[in-house]
Amino acid sequence: MWGRELPATDIADHFAEVTRSAISQHLGVLKAAGLVIERRDGTRRLYRADRAQMKKLRKSLDDYWTTGLERLRDVAEAAQREKEKR
Amino acid sequence: MAELVREIMIDATPETIWPFLTEPGKHIEWDGTVAEIDPRPGGVYRVLVAGQHQSAGEYVEVDPMRKVVFTFGWEQEGHPIPPGSTTVEITLQPEGDKTRVRLVHRGLPDDAVEDHGAGWAHYLQRLAVRVGGDDPGPDIGPGAGD
Repeated sequence: MWGRELPATDIADHFAEVTRSAISQHLGVLKAAGLVIERRDGTRRLYRADRAQMKKLRKSLDDYWTTGLERLRDVAEAAQREKEKR
Repeated sequence: MAELVREIMIDATPETIWPFLTEPGKHIEWDGTVAEIDPRPGGVYRVLVAGQHQSAGEYVEVDPMRKVVFTFGWEQEGHPIPPGSTTVEITLQPEGDKTRVRLVHRGLPDDAVEDHGAGWAHYLQRLAVRVGGDDPGPDIGPGAGD
């Protein structure tokens, strides 16, 4: 799915224990989240992963934790200085 | 599945840092605007970020002054990281007068170009279990269960 488009039926073949309709539902969730791109070819639906969106998700998490830890450092160091004053 | 690792050196002791990880009132001084956290295994982790993004999970491991582990995700319809789907581990390692704080966020959707679908298959499988209402269990990465 990374390098090429796959029809939902091929994706479903990876999951013997999951029904095809369930797979379609999950692909719908990923599509709504913007992580896969769907293309219609006649009656078939083809899916591929949207790397740009995955990268964006990764970056937003990077930013979230980096900013968080910097704020943690600032408040903890201020608290430490307060402690040492006393 | 991918993981994200972030480290920072803080000029404070683990004893000073710990309450910021475990007390709601102190937690929101650095992360979130509302924090509902109960730091003991099975306890709730809910942090509202920027007043609108609800993160949610539960505590897995709490080792005072040393380590806290909780599951993590976003309570937004259709978000690729649903609550409970990933794990965050924060460790405090004293080094002299300072403390090295290390954050590892595990079980993230893989963005590696080299990964020809194993990560995806793994992720879809976890998603399948989640959507089915069950708990997929701790994420040990692709390959193990696929």
